[in-house]
Amino acid sequence: MGVSNVLTLWKDFVKGLWKENPVFVMLLGMCPTLAVTNTATNGLAMGLATSFVLLGSGIVNSLVKKLIPDEVRIPSFIVIIATFVTIVDYSAKAYVPAIAESLKLFIPLIVVNCLILGRSESFASKQPVHRTIADALGMGIGFTWALTFLGIIREVIGFGTVFRGTSLAIQVMGDWFQPWLIMVLPAGAFLTLGTVLGVINYFKSRAVGVKVELQDSTGDSCHSI
Amino acid sequence: MGKEKIDIKLIVVLTLIMIISALVLSFVYQATTPLIKEHAAQAKKEAILDVLPGAVKYEKLEKGGLELYQGLDKSGSPVGVAFQHEGNGFQGTIILMIGMDIENQKLLKVKILDQLDTPGLGARMAEQEFKGQFQGKSFSDNFVAKEDVDAIAGATISSQAVSDILKDAIATVEQAYSGGE
Repeated sequence: MGVSNVLTLWKDFVKGLWKENPVFVMLLGMCPTLAVTNTATNGLAMGLATSFVLLGSGIVNSLVKKLIPDEVRIPSFIVIIATFVTIVDYSAKAYVPAIAESLKLFIPLIVVNCLILGRSESFASKQPVHRTIADALGMGIGFTWALTFLGIIREVIGFGTVFRGTSLAIQVMGDWFQPWLIMVLPAGAFLTLGTVLGVINYFKSRAVGVKVELQDSTGDSCHSI
Repeated sequence: MGKEKIDIKLIVVLTLIMIISALVLSFVYQATTPLIKEHAAQAKKEAILDVLPGAVKYEKLEKGGLELYQGLDKSGSPVGVAFQHEGNGFQGTIILMIGMDIENQKLLKVKILDQLDTPGLGARMAEQEFKGQFQGKSFSDNFVAKEDVDAIAGATISSQAVSDILKDAIATVEQAYSGGE
């Protein structure tokens, strides 16, 4: 494999972490982002589960892309993703019940996650398998850290803790702190995400000084802000 | 009408994908179901002993058409009765394993076997902070969230759902006991 190939793979991987971060830049997968980031643990679990499905369904969709006519691409992808998620669900329940138990609330949310369909549609359907894997890993990690980050903010303000309910649990705020219940409720998700996006965009626009046109790696414009 | 003709290839491809998907899923289902059932049975066994403090084994007990589990301690004397009961939660069915002390008319311990409520809100019913309050709770209590039951902040419906299931379970078991004599 030549140097340029490695560089391409590296770029495919890295762009998901920040430049084209699925949550903070592309605003994909908003339902799980808003729904389950009320604690750091939930954000992390959702991120990892999504990454796994993103990788699996990306590989399958990249492999079968030539067999599927354009007109039925989206229904085909949805069926493939749903099948993959169901297989993961049953296998986890049968072979790793402890993990399945902690993930079962997230599984229904993964099926309808538009991040997975979005990456299948805009990347896996046009690129070879090895680039799809790099893209899925990058996007998965980008999604996971973003969700965990939102989860930490909401949990610290909403409960005064980080990673509560696990062995990593840390009490961040002292006894004087009155937890803000709203941060754990759905409204807190909008407040947190909106504030974080606002801060990110403020610094971005200051750095660039012009309107930012977002493009995905294939050159198609996703949308602009 | 020529323009409206649908490419036969589309139908074939989509149908094939559906058939393959259905085949793969039914295969996976068949392969995993026995294991999943086994795990569920195991979890139930553990839950029965868990909700009856002091119990080392249990035996099945039929009473008034109900399936109850009589817990026994080391010396073989009864320590309480476990009963599985379910009801509607905020999003899906909540299944509880409930340990009861029939003689003293109080709850021993409650364990959540299954629930699908929101992570971080209703799902917190499984935390000791919430379910622990039912330990030693009298049968004659009202089981009303925000009154005699401390509700989970932001999840009153889930909290009330658990309370309702408990209240209903108590009534069912008491009726079985009084009818059985």
